[in-house]
Amino acid sequence: MIVCLAVVGHENNPLYIQSFTESDDALKLHHIVHCSLDVIDERVNNPKKSSPTINEAFLGLLYPTENYKVYGYLTNTKVKFILVTTDLDIRDADVRNVSLLFFRKFHAAYVDAVSNPFHIPGKKITSKTFRERVSSIVKSFGLSSAS
Amino acid sequence: MEPDASIETSSMIRVAVIPISDVTPLLFREYAAMLLRHHTVSLNSISSFYTEHQKSPFAHQPWESGSLRFKFILGGSPPSPWEDFQSNRKILAVIGICHCPSAPDLRSVVDQFTAACKTYSSSLVQRCFAFCPGDSQLEDGSVKGSNLILFPPADRQTQEFHMQTMVQDIAASLLMEFEKWVLQAESGGTVFKTPLDSQASLSSEEVIKAKKRRLGRAQKTIGDYCLLAGSPVDANAHYSTSLELTRLTADFFWYAGAMEGSVCALLMDRMGQKDPVLEDEVKYRYNSVILHYRKSFIQDNAQRVSPLSFELEATLKLARFLCRRELANDVVELLTATADGATSLIDASDKLVVYVEIARLFGELGYHRKAAFFSRQVAQLYLQQDKKFAAISAMQVLAMTTKAYRVQSRASIGPSNDAGQTHADGGKVHHHSIVSLFESQWSTLQMVVLREILLSAVRAGDPLAAWSAAARLLRSYYPLITPAGQNGLFNALVNSAEKLPLGTRCSDPALPFVRLHSFPLHSSQMDIVKRNPAREDWWAGAAPSGPFIYTPFSKGEPNNSNKQELTWVVGEPVQVLVELANPCGFEVMVESIYLSVHSGNLDAFPVSVSLPPNSSKVITLSGIPTKEGLVLVPGCIVHCFGVITEHFFKEVDSLLIGATQGLVLSDPFRSCGAAKLKHAHLPSITVVPPLPLLVSHIAGGDGSVMLYEGEIRDVWISLANAGTVPVEQAHISLSGKNQDSVVTVASETLRSALPLKPGAEVTIRVTLKAWQLSKTDSDAAASKGMPGSSVRQAKDGSSPLLLIHYAGPLTTPGEPETVSAPPPGRRLVIPLNICVLQGLSFVKARLLSMEIPARIGEACSMQAQLERGNTEQVNSSERQADRLVKIDPNRGSWGLRLLELELYNPTDVVFEAGVSLDMENTNNQENLSDNISAEYGEPKTRIDRDYTARVLIPLENFKLPVLDGSFLGNSSQNNGTSGSRNNSFSEKNIKAELNASIKNLISKIKVRWQSGRNSSGELDIKDAIQAALQASVMDVLLPDPLTFGFRLAKTSSDDINVDSDVTSCESGDSIIAHEMTAMEVLVRNNTKEAIRINLSIACKDVAGENCMEGDKATVLWEGVLRGISMEVPPLEEVKHAFSLYFLIPGEYTMLAAAMIYDANEVLRARARSDALDEPIFCRGPPYHVRVSGTR
Repeated sequence: MIVCLAVVGHENNPLYIQSFTESDDALKLHHIVHCSLDVIDERVNNPKKSSPTINEAFLGLLYPTENYKVYGYLTNTKVKFILVTTDLDIRDADVRNVSLLFFRKFHAAYVDAVSNPFHIPGKKITSKTFRERVSSIVKSFGLSSAS
Repeated sequence: MEPDASIETSSMIRVAVIPISDVTPLLFREYAAMLLRHHTVSLNSISSFYTEHQKSPFAHQPWESGSLRFKFILGGSPPSPWEDFQSNRKILAVIGICHCPSAPDLRSVVDQFTAACKTYSSSLVQRCFAFCPGDSQLEDGSVKGSNLILFPPADRQTQEFHMQTMVQDIAASLLMEFEKWVLQAESGGTVFKTPLDSQASLSSEEVIKAKKRRLGRAQKTIGDYCLLAGSPVDANAHYSTSLELTRLTADFFWYAGAMEGSVCALLMDRMGQKDPVLEDEVKYRYNSVILHYRKSFIQDNAQRVSPLSFELEATLKLARFLCRRELANDVVELLTATADGATSLIDASDKLVVYVEIARLFGELGYHRKAAFFSRQVAQLYLQQDKKFAAISAMQVLAMTTKAYRVQSRASIGPSNDAGQTHADGGKVHHHSIVSLFESQWSTLQMVVLREILLSAVRAGDPLAAWSAAARLLRSYYPLITPAGQNGLFNALVNSAEKLPLGTRCSDPALPFVRLHSFPLHSSQMDIVKRNPAREDWWAGAAPSGPFIYTPFSKGEPNNSNKQELTWVVGEPVQVLVELANPCGFEVMVESIYLSVHSGNLDAFPVSVSLPPNSSKVITLSGIPTKEGLVLVPGCIVHCFGVITEHFFKEVDSLLIGATQGLVLSDPFRSCGAAKLKHAHLPSITVVPPLPLLVSHIAGGDGSVMLYEGEIRDVWISLANAGTVPVEQAHISLSGKNQDSVVTVASETLRSALPLKPGAEVTIRVTLKAWQLSKTDSDAAASKGMPGSSVRQAKDGSSPLLLIHYAGPLTTPGEPETVSAPPPGRRLVIPLNICVLQGLSFVKARLLSMEIPARIGEACSMQAQLERGNTEQVNSSERQADRLVKIDPNRGSWGLRLLELELYNPTDVVFEAGVSLDMENTNNQENLSDNISAEYGEPKTRIDRDYTARVLIPLENFKLPVLDGSFLGNSSQNNGTSGSRNNSFSEKNIKAELNASIKNLISKIKVRWQSGRNSSGELDIKDAIQAALQASVMDVLLPDPLTFGFRLAKTSSDDINVDSDVTSCESGDSIIAHEMTAMEVLVRNNTKEAIRINLSIACKDVAGENCMEGDKATVLWEGVLRGISMEVPPLEEVKHAFSLYFLIPGEYTMLAAAMIYDANEVLRARARSDALDEPIFCRGPPYHVRVSGTR
């Protein structure tokens, strides 16, 4: 189940963080997202062994922490998508396919959001439409992974 | 669980280092530092201290390459319950450190040391090092034989050598002790227990089990000692045995321990070499270690004790071993597992150690954010302890995390920050700090960290750290903090400040935000101008020349156009405007704020400001430069909330840039409603030595001078040197509009007063002449119907400016001559505020001609004037015609031309206008011009308000004496076009000459006016006159080729000269009928060539004024004298005498006329005839003759 979604800009500045849990653990999730940047930085700086193909945007599992797993996705413009999930009992290949599908959808939503002429690049995304769209993607992802 | 654990820890001999008697912490640390250097002692070096008492159990000791390793524990530590399990946990030696000067009695030192050693029951060797003993102490024999070792006072090198020897001695003793122990352990029945083994009474079964296990445990312990003794091969042998035995007895805990030891022995054997095979081996073995530790978990005593900490420790040891970037994945995995395991640790301090180690390893791996995350966990554990020391630790740990979260204190960043700003090529400024602004958006995390720092600092009783944290929190996150929270922070600041000594400085600024507003430029009164010593006009070239803002030629030079340059003068106060903003909900009292000057050559004056909630203010900060050189003003020193902080302008600038890019939460200035300000650059400021300072004062007030159009007035300007340096050079120039309104400036007065000493004053005179208001101005003024409306004139900058460039001496007296750039000069701008009022206005000009015939036989004085030639002056003013008009008796005023000027007085004062002709430059006689100015200066025309008056100007004076061909030139071809003849001269110089003479004529005519007592001026009517004269300028200027005159010949017989004629004329007789009247006709040739003429004289009686011209005139009597042929030489007069006999008394008109033979071109042109063969007819003016009856 998806717990948190974050978009982090190319200067490691948070652009968007949304959590999908009822409990009040925003700070914890912030920390998880923040810490995951370490791993992304490392993979970006040492790309040779972490990503099999150069153009691979999907960074895969960044690190497991407590009961969460963190996945990453890096766009060409060095914008990072970070997905925090609770432990999914799926094999790695399945996770890869499903989460890649999810990140593609999310990427499209993000591109639409920043294509808004009123959006200032580098500023936090405050679009309500984006929020709704992300929520619907997350919901559909939850369903598809469950099925 | 211990910090700093690594695989090699198993091979380190633990030595407690304890202070004995009174040793100050500082000295203790110093002595200990000397000791700590000897953490590794090679076996080779201790061989001399070593004596083999019995056969050594360490058969394979590598005496050549091996070494003993020490782990010094400063202050000692309590015994660990796991000593039996891992021998390296035992304190095997105790070293006391004593500072003799503070412990005079050595016996008591020995006693104290012995007592201290008692707590370390496991220790095998004890030594007490006593430093700096006195002579008496050295001689004191009572301590001989004890463990006390005196270090005689010596230089550091000797002491260190001494220390090394002592440590080697200790090492040798320890080695011998180890041998002893091992021999004993192999034979003896030592029982090895750990807290894991049930403490309760053992059942018989367990006792048997324990006995079985004893052997394996003993082998493991012997292996430990072998490791400590630096013999890995021996250790390995014992560990192998132990592994076998413990596996058989299922003593998993000890199995894991032995395995750990074997790995350490392996690494020791390899002497620190690392290769992938070894790494894999270590990894494999350690995984087994971890596995077996986990296996040894016993549910029974899980509440009391658990091998978990050993499992985690082993994991950390492995992680530390592997900790390299290439193996990051493995390490992260291990660390994550450790972190997960740590949650189930019982002991809080164990947990703390685990987190500390995890944080350190992550940090080593380059995962700063993770390291920060775990550091925060550590801090939270510390904070849970609720002790002051724990709080201090928490604070320190949190301070380490600030870098990762980008909330570090400026004190920890250091001064290198200044170099962060670079100017890129395009003039775009990249702030180093902007990049950090990006990451400063993790506000949720940052605020939590800062809040925890604040909390821990308050608990730790560190007010400065608390103040700094609160300041950072407030300054960076005020938009996210509720007003209540802001007030809380405000209280935190105030409370912390109360605990701080007065005048404490903090590197982190709090409120208010301070930004550079502007540098007020020098007032125009004290402008500074660069001096160019190579030029006479040294001020030139300093200011941008030409009207172009951008010159393509200046592109090559380094262009820092956005960097304005400022010059300050030593001793003269300067001002800088800064803007303060307080975006918070409480009032900020800035106790003092002043410019921070790093260059130290400016005395800044503090100002106190109070900023209400959500407000901004622009304030002026001032200072006095004290020394020449560059001034750096990077920011302000602010004393606010009880602490002194430095606020840098640059930081706020980057904050504001970040705000525009959406990186920062909010712009504090805009949220306070401050106006948007263009980014103000810090100029480069130079301080120059003292300069002179001129202060101007216009006599009669600095207000504007009210002048009527054309009015001329003197203004006195006094200049005083208010500086401390004399003025040695000064130059006055004009600038601005209407410069020609300044007639004269007495610059000689100023020059002669140089050098102007400090305090000296000089007064110079400036003559002003008011300019003409333009048409629209005067119309506007007229439409408003009030003369005062032209006050506006003074405002719109139409007044001229008096520029005085002045400078002090080129070199200051104390300085050597080699000063490259001379001190700059200054410019004083004195605006001459002239307010021009509409004055006497000119309506129109007209050319009139007057036709009054002359009379023969009038006053003799006229005849006298006649003799002087025909250029004499006959002028008239309409009103005083009788007295003033002098008519040429020979010529009369026939064809006399007058210029009529119509003047209108729209003002509410009375004007008196007078005409004067300045004849200085003409070829007239000087006495004549004197005469004229005397005569014409007096008559005035009074013009009342709203009245029009006419002024007449006679033009006869301007007739040229000679009709010269040069004026007419080749005009014969086109003399038909008379109207534009002066335009049609093809030869430019001729035209120019003519124009010049016209100009000359016009410039001589001056209409001066006077109003009241002290207003006088001149009317500017040149253009009007020129327009009026344009058409008939030739007639006015050029004389007739021939002039004719009549006079009575008194005595027809003799040729008397003029002078005698004048005297004989006294009788003043008139012409009487029936008498022979002898007369003379005078013909003058005005050309340069002789003219042959046929003269005829006609005499008619007068019935009408103009009987000569019209045919209709009724002529009763007429006589004509014809055919007088004569030749007139050039520029000479020819007399022809004749007689008239009048029959009837009455008025007659006489007229001379001449036919010119063989007229040349000049004459033709003058007569405007185009036919070549046409005779030229020349006619004189009519003369009146009054013939009276009988006597």
